[in-house]
Amino acid sequence: MFYDLVIVGGGPAGAGAAVYAARKKMKTLIATDSWGGQSLVSADIQNWIGTPHISGLELAKMLEAHVRAYQPDVEILEERIEKIDSKNGGFVLISQSGQTIEAKTVLICTGSRRRRLGVPGEDKLDGKGIAWCGTCDAPLFKDKVVAVIGGGNAGLETVLDLNPYASQIYLFHRRDQLKGDPLTQEKVLSNKKVTVIYNAETQEILGDQFVSGLRYKDSKIGAEKTLGLEGVFVEIGNVPNSDIVKHLVKTDEWGQIVVDHKTQQTLAKGIWAAGDVTDVLNKQNNISVGDAIKAVLNIYSYVWG
Amino acid sequence: MKNIIIYTTPTCVYCKMTKEFLAKNNMPYTEHDVASDMKARQEMVDKSHQLGVPVVDIEDEIFVGFDRAGIAKALGL
Repeated sequence: MFYDLVIVGGGPAGAGAAVYAARKKMKTLIATDSWGGQSLVSADIQNWIGTPHISGLELAKMLEAHVRAYQPDVEILEERIEKIDSKNGGFVLISQSGQTIEAKTVLICTGSRRRRLGVPGEDKLDGKGIAWCGTCDAPLFKDKVVAVIGGGNAGLETVLDLNPYASQIYLFHRRDQLKGDPLTQEKVLSNKKVTVIYNAETQEILGDQFVSGLRYKDSKIGAEKTLGLEGVFVEIGNVPNSDIVKHLVKTDEWGQIVVDHKTQQTLAKGIWAAGDVTDVLNKQNNISVGDAIKAVLNIYSYVWG
Repeated sequence: MKNIIIYTTPTCVYCKMTKEFLAKNNMPYTEHDVASDMKARQEMVDKSHQLGVPVVDIEDEIFVGFDRAGIAKALGL
């Protein structure tokens, strides 16, 4: 099939783009294996404009329903795109199941994924005490000593997820001051279960079958210490999902796709990008939607221009 | 019809998505809340050798997380 536009990704950016592209009557396909983006696991999103409270799952369903309302003007392929290459001034995309899709333009809305620690023990004990979703797995650590790694908003919120369950929570932070919202910081710091360990660089996750401890370095005094604990929640930021187009576009030192922030166009002709995969300064649902719409309007002029 | 057991916590989004997927396809399942049921939690750990939810057991075929494609295949959907 040949499309004017293929949108890759079904988070807020991808969904926003699909709605606008359909309304412009461009021949459009959106390819995604999941809806809603990284907010999916949020228990309560309070800054999605127009809704004082919404869960990540509800938001995902709303986004999906909004895109589906525009079928068949927008076609949906519920698969991941594995490969993108240029061909005759356009692009050819290969999906998970091996489907080939051709397009005049591509909009990359693949978002980002969680950054891993990159220390010994992490791969071996992944899921065996190392957890990536506070709202999901916190109840499994009832009466256990746990660590949260990362003192930004995500880390602080994970501490609060664990608070009703864990017996003791160590919050490891690389710097000498927490980074998240002051309001959330207060909640965490005033909690008797929580001990914040500053200047802490995680060295190794210990354990045989399951996590039994964590070795870290105090970067201020240079000493290494080991704590016995049974759970490690990792919240140290994100890595952009730009791998599928890295050979085509320009990315910065963090792997983010470099775009013109007026148009969302990448440095490769025919490819646009929006949302957390780009070098946008703020990674926010509302911003991702707006940026994706900017992209579609610019793509429309390109396709019909 | 295959026997489906799912291990969940009340707060887990992927558990909800898994259950909705099964319900949509008219697949009845037995659910165990491993946040409160310690025996079920141990059963889940023994089966999956890990601690994350959801775990889906389709007649001894074990899926960790919401593995839509894997579950669909196991159920012949």
